[in-house]
Amino acid sequence: MAGASLKRLMAEYKQLTLNPPEGIIAGPLDEDNFFEWEALIAGPEGTIFDGGVFPARLIFPTDYPLNPPKMKFTCDLFHPNIYPDGRVCISILHTPGDDPTGYESSSERWSPVQSVEKILLSVVSMLAEPNDESAANVDAAKCWREDKSRFLECAQRSVRKSLGIPDL
Amino acid sequence: MRLAQRIGEGGAYVLSFVLTTFVIGNAFHQKKQFYPAVVYLTKSNPSLAVLIAQALVFVVLLAKLTRKIFFGSLRTAEIEHLVERSWYAVTETCLAFTVFKDDFNAVFVAMFVMLLFFKCFHWLAEDRVDFMERSPLLGWLFHTRVTSLLTLLALVDFYFIKKAYLSTLLHGASAQLVFGFEYAILITVVFTVFTKYMLHCIDLYDENPWENKAVYLLHLELITSGWKFGLYVVFVGIMSKVHTFPLFAIRPLYLTMRSFKRSLTDVIMSRRAIRNMNQLYPDATEEDLQNADDCIICREPMHVNGGCKKLPCSHIFHASCLRSWFQRQQTCPTCRMEILSSRPAASPAPPAARAAPAAPPAPDQVPPGAAQFQQFNPWQAFPNFPAPPAQPPAAQAPTTPPGVPPCCPGSASSKPHARVPPSISTKYKLPSCWWWSGCSWSSWLTWCSSISLHAFYVHAPSSYANS
Repeated sequence: MAGASLKRLMAEYKQLTLNPPEGIIAGPLDEDNFFEWEALIAGPEGTIFDGGVFPARLIFPTDYPLNPPKMKFTCDLFHPNIYPDGRVCISILHTPGDDPTGYESSSERWSPVQSVEKILLSVVSMLAEPNDESAANVDAAKCWREDKSRFLECAQRSVRKSLGIPDL
Repeated sequence: MRLAQRIGEGGAYVLSFVLTTFVIGNAFHQKKQFYPAVVYLTKSNPSLAVLIAQALVFVVLLAKLTRKIFFGSLRTAEIEHLVERSWYAVTETCLAFTVFKDDFNAVFVAMFVMLLFFKCFHWLAEDRVDFMERSPLLGWLFHTRVTSLLTLLALVDFYFIKKAYLSTLLHGASAQLVFGFEYAILITVVFTVFTKYMLHCIDLYDENPWENKAVYLLHLELITSGWKFGLYVVFVGIMSKVHTFPLFAIRPLYLTMRSFKRSLTDVIMSRRAIRNMNQLYPDATEEDLQNADDCIICREPMHVNGGCKKLPCSHIFHASCLRSWFQRQQTCPTCRMEILSSRPAASPAPPAARAAPAAPPAPDQVPPGAAQFQQFNPWQAFPNFPAPPAQPPAAQAPTTPPGVPPCCPGSASSKPHARVPPSISTKYKLPSCWWWSGCSWSSWLTWCSSISLHAFYVHAPSSYANS
């Protein structure tokens, strides 16, 4: 009988493969190690990131689900809530007491009720609606707030890059 | 990229071999006889440099071979870990050289290289055994490798400790002191890794999830980090007395102190969580469980005899899942209700509230509503442990008096705390113990080092005092 974290990750993997949510694929990189996952997230339809497919890495702690995983996009993504190095900054990935931007209420933080699926769905909704109040990428937040057309341009560039299409 | 790196590496080895052959061949060609050739080799600086480089190449090749035998290929995380730790180890070694500049010679350098070599294998073994928790597939090869490696490392450590001990006894304190302590730390690592390995193995081959494994791991961590911390403190004390203050030991001393503090906090929090759970929350009944889904923490179904607990907000979890969660946070995982500030009296007949009036000798002096607050008393950080989660809490609460923490005399009886007004008891609900959390780092460091220095100066063995 393996550890509780491993069992839960296996259960979540099964769940995600049997009933995958729209626009999301996720699973362990290597079935020898269930604590490192890769996820592919499709940009939500009708939004600025429509059409893009963005790869991300999820690293789970050994005491998952008591602590949240870390999530990092492995592609360039110009977005107010994604650090320039790809780390995702959303409240569901923070434990209470860990608040890098100081804007989050504890009710939307990590708890074992959350799951990989919920994290990825939150990321999809974050892509659709950037939150410029708690910016991880200040340039992107400023651009989103003040210069929507330039932001759209940068977002389109991210989408093209994620699909491997060269810039116009 | 990797191929280029490999070719470069192989080229370096070949170059080193060619150079060595050339140097030795040249020496024999010039001197014709064995003895003059060896003298020529050791007297000529370029030849010596080539030979030392060759020795390093042998060390690296030997390390690779040993790694291949005991570990197979390394994972990326393991390599990163290894590089990071070796970097620190090399820096500290260079600092240590400055202390022993009088003893500095080839043997000494070789000893340090060997120490680094063995340290690397200890770290790798540690990482490998930690990886057991993450991987569902472990074959016989893994177990053979881990057990043989750990046995070998333990033997090596033991040999070097013995050697350092005898050398110190015979020749007085020297650089052997450092080696002795380093290998003593390493043998602690072997012990920890082996115990962890056993725990993981028991867990792997048991049908049911092993609830108390986390608790055992916590206590193991506490014991070994405390022991390591003690070793470092003694080492710094002796070194300060015999040579000079060991700068190179500051970082490991600080790190072990930090991990000791963390494991102590973890153990205290875990014990508190267990006590709270056993005393405050009722076991879930069959009808509770009929309406409930799987446990939200581990996503496994719950059974009546599986020790499930019901929180005041009527959410139900496995007792073991809840315990590890409460160690980190004191809220309900589902609705985030602050479980410590909520009044369990609101739920139907919580066993703690029922049992509480029987515990204090004079129940009539207890103000109404205070009974449930005595459970939140922050001073009772060390309850009797471990309490089996399946035991009915109602029978247990009066028979297991909370233990006495060393900092607070008189907390063995729950009576004085029954009168603590709610505002005070809830105010102190989080910090584990005032003497612990209240002390700042610097004062701790000073305190520990002064105690150890004092102890050393007073009880120093005569051999150190004479040297």
